[in-house]
Amino acid sequence: MKSIQPVVSKMLVSSINKERISHAYLLHGQRGTGKKYLAILLAKSIFCKHQERAEPCNTCRDCQRIDSGNHPDFHWIEPDGASIKKEQILHLQKEFTYTGMESNRKVYIVSDAEKMTTNASNRLLKFLEEPSMDTTAILLTENSQAILPTIQSRCQLISLRPLNNKQLIEKLEQEGLTEANAKIFAAVTNDLNEALEKSKDEWFANARKIVVQLVEMLQTNPNEVLLFIHTQWMPHFKERPQAQQGLDLLLLWFKDMVYYHIDQKEQMVFSYHYDKIEKAAMHWSKKHATDNLSHIMDAKRKLEQNVHPQLVMEQLTLHFQR
Amino acid sequence: MSKWNPKNGRVILHVDMNSFYASVEAAYDPSLKGKPIAIAGNPEERKGIIVTSSYEARKKGVKTTMPLWQAKKLCSNLIVMRPNFERYRKASKEMFNILFRFTPFVEPVSIDEGYMDITECEEYGSPIDIANQIQKIIYQELDLPCSIGIAPNKFLAKMASDMKKPNGITILRKRNVQEKLWPLSIDHMYGVGEKTALKLQEININTIGDLASANRAQLKQLLGINGEKLQDRANGLDKRAVDPESIHRFKSIGSSQTLPYDTVEVQDIDRLLHTLSRNVANRLSRKDAAGQTLQLMIRFHNRKTITRSKKINKHIDKEEEIFVHAKILFEENWDGTAIRLLGVTVQDIITKEQMVTQLDLFSYQEHQEDEKLYEVMTHLKDKYGDNIIRKASFNEKRKFDLKTSFQKDFLDD
Amino acid sequence: MKIIMNRDRLIESVQHVMKAISQKTTIPILTGIKIEATETQVKLTGSDSDITIEAVIPKEEEGIILIDEIVPGSIVLHAKYFPEIIRKLPNEMVEIESDDKLQLSIRSGHAEFHLNGQDAEEYPHLPLLQSDSSFSLPNDLLKNMIRQTVFAVSTSETRPILTGVNIKVEDDHLHFIATDSHRLAARKIPLEVDQANLSFSQVVIPGKSLNELNKILEDTDEKIEIQVGENQIAFQAEHLYFVTRLLEGKYPETSRLIPDQSKTIIHADTKTLLQSVDRASLLARESQNNVVRLETKGNEVVEITSNSPEIGKVEEEITIKGMEGEDLKISFSSKYMIDALKIMESDQVKIEFTGAMRPFIIKPVDNDQILQLILPVRTY
Repeated sequence: MKSIQPVVSKMLVSSINKERISHAYLLHGQRGTGKKYLAILLAKSIFCKHQERAEPCNTCRDCQRIDSGNHPDFHWIEPDGASIKKEQILHLQKEFTYTGMESNRKVYIVSDAEKMTTNASNRLLKFLEEPSMDTTAILLTENSQAILPTIQSRCQLISLRPLNNKQLIEKLEQEGLTEANAKIFAAVTNDLNEALEKSKDEWFANARKIVVQLVEMLQTNPNEVLLFIHTQWMPHFKERPQAQQGLDLLLLWFKDMVYYHIDQKEQMVFSYHYDKIEKAAMHWSKKHATDNLSHIMDAKRKLEQNVHPQLVMEQLTLHFQR
Repeated sequence: MSKWNPKNGRVILHVDMNSFYASVEAAYDPSLKGKPIAIAGNPEERKGIIVTSSYEARKKGVKTTMPLWQAKKLCSNLIVMRPNFERYRKASKEMFNILFRFTPFVEPVSIDEGYMDITECEEYGSPIDIANQIQKIIYQELDLPCSIGIAPNKFLAKMASDMKKPNGITILRKRNVQEKLWPLSIDHMYGVGEKTALKLQEININTIGDLASANRAQLKQLLGINGEKLQDRANGLDKRAVDPESIHRFKSIGSSQTLPYDTVEVQDIDRLLHTLSRNVANRLSRKDAAGQTLQLMIRFHNRKTITRSKKINKHIDKEEEIFVHAKILFEENWDGTAIRLLGVTVQDIITKEQMVTQLDLFSYQEHQEDEKLYEVMTHLKDKYGDNIIRKASFNEKRKFDLKTSFQKDFLDD
Repeated sequence: MKIIMNRDRLIESVQHVMKAISQKTTIPILTGIKIEATETQVKLTGSDSDITIEAVIPKEEEGIILIDEIVPGSIVLHAKYFPEIIRKLPNEMVEIESDDKLQLSIRSGHAEFHLNGQDAEEYPHLPLLQSDSSFSLPNDLLKNMIRQTVFAVSTSETRPILTGVNIKVEDDHLHFIATDSHRLAARKIPLEVDQANLSFSQVVIPGKSLNELNKILEDTDEKIEIQVGENQIAFQAEHLYFVTRLLEGKYPETSRLIPDQSKTIIHADTKTLLQSVDRASLLARESQNNVVRLETKGNEVVEITSNSPEIGKVEEEITIKGMEGEDLKISFSSKYMIDALKIMESDQVKIEFTGAMRPFIIKPVDNDQILQLILPVRTY
């Protein structure tokens, strides 16, 4: 945990050590930032009798039963279908009017808390308003704006930062990606789950090929480029978000060329195409490559402003050829 | 003006179903016909009591509220049944539907009786023809007996329907009052309860005739305005109109309003909820009523409309109370999107006369302030009759509130 | 784990613990029965997390061998199949054996079942309760105290604490108190000398749990031991152990709300009054408010009436044993009155009124251990 969310984990560890655990936490962060993992870890730290420096042992009865869902004083609520229903919160409400089963320590986690129905939110609010001594609520959300402000104000808000690039690459490698691929996917997104999905996505694999082809064609066969845009590029990057991704990949290529020129080869994303980058760097000088980076950024902005994608691409490739 | 009817007068029918519950059971299961039937709370238990019984049972002396064991002693072959209120309500509805075929001026009084104003109904025949038709249709379509009284006003119609049971039709004209009504003992008069009868007998009024000629001032002293009212009736006078709305009027009171623009602003919404709550509270207060269910209607910007209601554990009638419950319902059901229209309705309405509030252990002491007032009221009611207090406050309000009854509800919103 | 024992005794114990098991639980392990064998006994446990029931089968009872062979161990079995299997076994003896992979075999005669079990470590463990906060009562007295109070608990969740019965030690008495805020039922018994230094002051037991307990307790004068813990209370009968969670929070102080003076006192025959109110309620019930009215008529008669506009009217005068103080007219819920009179345990009751809008108290004439309080309804 410490390695992924250093700031947050330091704060939580210190509050557990000082036995100053809040009645309610709201963990918010994008997908893949480790909300569930952190919440369960916090729950274990609260129950585990063998923890060291707030790190639970993960092997005792309490820790194991939190994992298996059999801990009688630990409750996990997540959307039943599209939303978290009133009945689910009613169940919680009943649980908290009773004493605990094994001790009076109780923890509940509401995952995807933004998916509570209005009714469920209002019920939850009622017992956040009158917290009992030994109860801890942990709400998880990707979108804290969608949580009732009255609920937010009763929770200690914890923002989980997106993973930094190095952590993400490590994580991706742990998930079985090659180092080269891990670098690429960590460069296109900072969300672990999204990166993993993309690595299995055929469309994305083809997108990478088309970008390589475009970069090569710009050097070897500039007259064919417009045709290529028309017949290959446009059909593949049909939707606007796809077109943006195509430009992102192009951006990475030109960045790599700049890294080649300034001799920071370890920063390269497409390092496994080292020979291609070297060749391209011969074609575009450092200044050229840098200029092209800003042309690509311009193109991205234009796409954002709803300029026709084909027009944007045609203009961009003309800039490349100057 | 009809050829049958007296000039400036009206023709009123009182339709009274004969031993309604038992008759409905017999219609439902014809094998019970002609047999002594009784409806009782707990047929299995000896301590059950008779709610109603068929004429066959009554002939043997079976009476309402008599303990079951006693009834069985009087009538050994008595068939005892549990009440099926659903069945009775259905029969009642169908019975009133028959009355409505003749005129819209039907005033249901209870589940098994109602008044009709047939002054404008000469197309169906003479009053006695109409009564005959009604009795026949109710018998043919529902297999139920009824007695009908025909008279120039509600009181006489009611007294008339009581004169011949079952299956009677009785005409009571004003000129027959002396002959037919006056000899009756005072406790047979509609509107004279056990207590009033005792009081009247104490000042030597034993028949309806005695009441008709009694000293008016003395009556007023004894019974309040109710005394004067009863004397008028003993003389065959009753000005109450047949009011088809009386039974529906208090069921619910609501108010709704469209916002000037679609909004998500809590302030706008609260302001409108306050306005609506105030409208409803004013109308409730004018009717001296309160309700136990609050309904909220929300129409969203996309015209999607939801209505949600909730039962409240007490009767509410104050603006603040209505607002609080409307607001809670709103919060529970608002998805945060823009609102076009809101409506607040109070349902399950009863007049304060019928109203009871269960006191609460933890708050009853707050009501102690009301206790003295309550004692005074009870005292006054005993002395001057049930309506005196309510009427006074009702009139009081009218003075301040210029919207009189002819403006009715549609002007309130 | 291995057990060889008589089938009938096992069936009996399984039936006891099954009463606590609910398939609706959100905790997966609680859909099972826990079996725990030690050198001297076999213990079965069932729980829905609110209540937990344990049934113990000793190896030997009064010289009779109940269990032929025990190898200690424990396992959790799905409660859907295990009881059915045991019940349908062909032979009078049953052999239950589990291996270290949580596989269980049940053998009887030539029949053999194999079931998958779960790790008993996953099962909730009940906290050990302190013996210095324990006391004992005869079964039937406890049953009475429950019966005389639990009906008055609130069924509404608006004040969850009122859904339980408040049990407290005060003035050398053990008190049971329940109220839904419209009526209150209280029962007390004097503490015996050995109970005087109980270390608990008060707990609130969910009404639902007490109803369950009442169902499994036998109506005998055998003693049951009651242990009060911080978050559980346990009732220990001979081979049965019933544990329930408590309600959190402070029970409202009710003693100051009970009037100590009265303006009108009525002495009446319990049964006569009960039946009269019951008759009057017959018509009141249909018109939802359930209200009957009581009016004193001199020193010997009260009138019970009810009136529902749509249906009709009941009036009945009953003779009472005596009346002291001011005349009175009061309206109240017939249901509350019937509930209160039903548990009076005495032929004669004394009703103390302090006014038409104040709570009134019903007690047996001959003892002050039972107290029922009812809030009247206000009519307008």
